[in-house]
Amino acid sequence: MLAAENVLFTVAMCLYFAAMIFYFLFTALKKEKLSRIAIGVQALAFLLHTAALVCRGIGAGRLPLTNQYEFAASFAWGLCLVSLIFILKFRFPVLGAFLTPLIFLVIGYAAMQSREIKDLMPSLRSNWLGFHVSTAIIAYGSFGVSAVVSAIFLFRSRMKDEGFWGQHVPNREKLDLISYRSVCLGLLFLTFTILTGAIWAERAWGSYWSWDPKETWSLITWIIYAVYLHLRFNRGWRGRSAAIFAVIGFACVLFTYVGVNTLLPGVHSYK
Amino acid sequence: MLKKTIRFLYSMKFAILLLILLAAACVLGSVIPQKQSFMWYLSEYGTRGGALVVGLGLDDVFHAVWFLVLTVLLCCDLLACNLLHLPGLLAQTRALGRAPKAGEKTVGAVSGVEKPEAVFEKLHMPKPKRAEADGKTVLYAAKNRAGVWGAWVTHLGALLLIIGFTMGQATLTEYTVMGVPGKTCPVGDTGLTLTVEDFDVAYTESGTPQQFTARVTMHGPEGDRSGTASVNHPASLYGFKIYQNSVGTAAKATVRSEGGTVAEDVLCPGDVLQIPDTPLTITFEAYRNKGFGGSGTVPGYTFVLENGNSGERYYGEQAEGENAEFDYGVSAAGGEGRSVRSYEVRFSEPRTATLLRLKQERFTWLALLGGLLTMLGLILSFYLQPRRVWAVQDGEGWTVSGECRKGGALFYDRLREAAQTGEKEETTDAGC
Repeated sequence: MLAAENVLFTVAMCLYFAAMIFYFLFTALKKEKLSRIAIGVQALAFLLHTAALVCRGIGAGRLPLTNQYEFAASFAWGLCLVSLIFILKFRFPVLGAFLTPLIFLVIGYAAMQSREIKDLMPSLRSNWLGFHVSTAIIAYGSFGVSAVVSAIFLFRSRMKDEGFWGQHVPNREKLDLISYRSVCLGLLFLTFTILTGAIWAERAWGSYWSWDPKETWSLITWIIYAVYLHLRFNRGWRGRSAAIFAVIGFACVLFTYVGVNTLLPGVHSYK
Repeated sequence: MLKKTIRFLYSMKFAILLLILLAAACVLGSVIPQKQSFMWYLSEYGTRGGALVVGLGLDDVFHAVWFLVLTVLLCCDLLACNLLHLPGLLAQTRALGRAPKAGEKTVGAVSGVEKPEAVFEKLHMPKPKRAEADGKTVLYAAKNRAGVWGAWVTHLGALLLIIGFTMGQATLTEYTVMGVPGKTCPVGDTGLTLTVEDFDVAYTESGTPQQFTARVTMHGPEGDRSGTASVNHPASLYGFKIYQNSVGTAAKATVRSEGGTVAEDVLCPGDVLQIPDTPLTITFEAYRNKGFGGSGTVPGYTFVLENGNSGERYYGEQAEGENAEFDYGVSAAGGEGRSVRSYEVRFSEPRTATLLRLKQERFTWLALLGGLLTMLGLILSFYLQPRRVWAVQDGEGWTVSGECRKGGALFYDRLREAAQTGEKEETTDAGC
C-alpha cells in the first residue's frame, strides 16, 4: 500500500505541475481549449492525490493527518478541492493559473518531509483527530483561494475590461464576492477546527484552551478574518482594504501551519 | 462629547480596533516566552528590555490587567452591539414577510416575464403570496429569514464563549496527584483522598506507549466511588473530572539505621518520607535512567534530605544498587552529651507512576454553548442569506425584482437565469 502511495503521490505531483503549465499556456496563448485541458489535468491529479491519501491511510491503519508530511499533503489536497469547486462554480479558470503554483509549492513541501510511519502517541488516538484536522484542511484551502482571489482583485484595475482578461477575470465586485464566499467557508471551518480542538484538548489534557502557540495563532487568524468580515460590512472599507486583510489572513494561516510548528514549539509540534 | 465617546465605544470601528489590539497581544504572547523568571528576561532581553517586558506584563500577556481590560471592552462592545441592533433585526425579520412597497431597494429587475410562478419555483420559493397595491397584483415571497440573525447569534456566541472561559478560569479548582497502585493520596485540602487501584500501560508492537489507564477510587463523605481514567477518556468522581495526564517514576525508599529498617515507603517525585524520632525528612526528586556511577551510564535517584529544626538541606544522589549514607547527631536522654546515629538511604525498584489531574470547572458548558452558538451564527450568516423576490403585474407581463442583503450581484445572476424563459426585456441593474 505504501509503495502504491509513493507512486500515486509522485504522479499526482507531476500532474499538478503539468496543470500549472497548461494554465500558464492558457493565459499566455489565450486559447480556451487549454483551460479545459488544464482543469482536466488538475482534476486527474486531484483523483490520484486522493487515492494516494487513501493508500497512506490504509497502510498506516489510521487517518493520514498526523505529521508534517501527511498534513502538508492533505493541505495541498484541500487547496486543490476548494480551488476546483471555485473554478467550476464561478467559471473562473484563470484562478487555476494562480492557485496551481501554490498547490505545487505545498505538495513540494510535503515531498521534502519524512514519510516514515510512526506509532501515534496516546493523546492522538482519538476520533476527534479526524474532525479537527480535516476541517483545518478545508479551512486552510479556502483561505488560500480567498487570498489568491483577493490578490487578483488588487491587480484587477490594471486589467482591461475587454478582451481575454475582461472575459475571463470577473469584475472587482464579483472578485470581492468570490473572496468573501471563500473566506466564509474558511472561517466556518476554522471555527469548527478550533471548537473540535478545544473539545478534544479538554478530554485529552483537561484544558480546552491553554494558549498553546498553535491555539493562539489559530485565534489570531480567526480574529483577522473577523476583521475582514467587519470591514466588508463597513461600506467605506469594502474592496481594497478587505482584500488586503484576506492576503494578511492567509499569511497568518501559513505561519500557523509552518511557522508555529518550527519556531514556536508547543503541544502541536508533531514532526 | 460624552455621547460621541459612548457612540465610538459601541461602534464597529472600535470593535475592529479592539480585535486588532487583541490579535497583536496574542502575537506578543506567543512570541515572548511566558511565565519565566525576571532574571531570565533580563538575561534574554537585556536590562532595559527585560524590565520593559516584565513592567508591561508581557511575561504573562494572557493574564495581564490590560489584556483583561481589552477583553472586558470587547464584551461590552458585543453586548451593546447586540442590544442596539435587536429592534432593527426584529423589524427586518417582519419586513421580509410583508408585501414590498413602491421604490423598494432591489438588486435588479427583469421585466416581460410571462410566468412569474415559474420564476419563484426556480428560486425555491414555490408558494408566493398575493397582494394588491396601487391597482396592480403583486406576488411576493421571502426565504432564509433566519439569516437576518446570523451576526447577532455569532456575537452572542462569542460573548458567552468569552464569559464562560473567563469565569471558568476564575473559579477553577485543580489538583495533581501522582501515585502507584495501592497508594492513597490526599486531594488538596478538599478532605477527599484518592487511591490508585491499578495502573496499566499498553504498548504497540514497536514498543511505544499506546494507552495509559488508571483505575482509581475516591474516598469521601458519601463513600467510595471508583472509575477509570485513560488518555482521552477522563473519569468523573465527586464532581471532579480526573484526567490521565502524564507518567513519572516512583521508587521504594528504605532508611536503615544500626542494622534495622526505620522507615520504608514507595515515593513518587515530590513525596516526603519522615524518619521517625528525628526532624529529618527525605524528599524524592527524580529517577534518571543514566547519569550516575563512574561512567555516567548507571541509572540513579536524586533526593533532598532536610532537617526540620535547623533548616539545613542536603541534595543527594544515589546510583542504582548503592546506598547513600549520612550521620545525624542526637541528644542523649536527659540532655547529657550527644550521640551520632548513622543512616543508610536506599532507593530501589523504580516503577511507572501515574500523574492524574483533578479538575472542577463550572463554566465549561457556557463556553461550549458559546462556541456552538458562534458556529450556528456563522452558518446562518453565510449560508442562509435572507432574500426576497416579488413580481408586479405590468401590462401584459410581470416585472420580477429581488432583494438580497449579501451577494447581490450573484443573486441577480440567478434571478435573471430564473426569469429567462418568459423574459422580453431587461430594465434595471442596480447593485446591492
